[in-house]
Amino acid sequence: MSQFRAKKLDLSCFINSKIIRDHTKRKVFEQHEPERQALRYIIRNTSLPQRTRAQAQLQLAQMHCYTRSTQPKNRCIMGGKGRGVFADFRMARFQFRMNALAGRIPGVKKASW
Amino acid sequence: MAVPRSRILDLMRVQCRIFNTTFNPTNARLGNKVLRQRLRGPSIAAYYPRRVSTFKQLRQLYPGVEMYDNFEEDRLEHIQIAKSRGKGAPKKKKTAAESRKNQKKKR
Repeated sequence: MSQFRAKKLDLSCFINSKIIRDHTKRKVFEQHEPERQALRYIIRNTSLPQRTRAQAQLQLAQMHCYTRSTQPKNRCIMGGKGRGVFADFRMARFQFRMNALAGRIPGVKKASW
Repeated sequence: MAVPRSRILDLMRVQCRIFNTTFNPTNARLGNKVLRQRLRGPSIAAYYPRRVSTFKQLRQLYPGVEMYDNFEEDRLEHIQIAKSRGKGAPKKKKTAAESRKNQKKKR
């Protein structure tokens, strides 16, 4: 959402609206993670009063969806694709192939035996 | 030989004190597993490469040094060519009256 978006672009990879959105989600999640974990602790702690735990549950459910860890999705940093992305190389399969064949990824070699 | 429960509890208490864990003989759910988890935010937020600096900032750092910004020069050259061919962007209207006049003409 626009209220979270950075005023100035701070990315140096391939950029499109989806990448900017995903990057925003990541930063928002990082910001709110301690708060979420604290609420989760209160909810899981059975020694606390039931009322407190219920309130924490409500509060956690009412937090913005961008603060959830399930929101960010790994996207290709070379082409912005959302599918077929290798998490280790942060690249979609075709970009990975092109860069690997060009020798731009250290330690990757075409198999041959 | 049966060991009394109080002895075992004592042992557990000492164990907890030594290894710095919570003494919880009734196995109540205290949610400590949430506190034990590491924060995943920094690694998740570091996925995309960040922009380190821009040409503008470099120029501001060294005001006396002359530098050649390839992209900016290309852009200006392109605009120059478009203008000379009469395909440039229209001039900005200074007043409200000027802009209104143009709109009426189009109709």
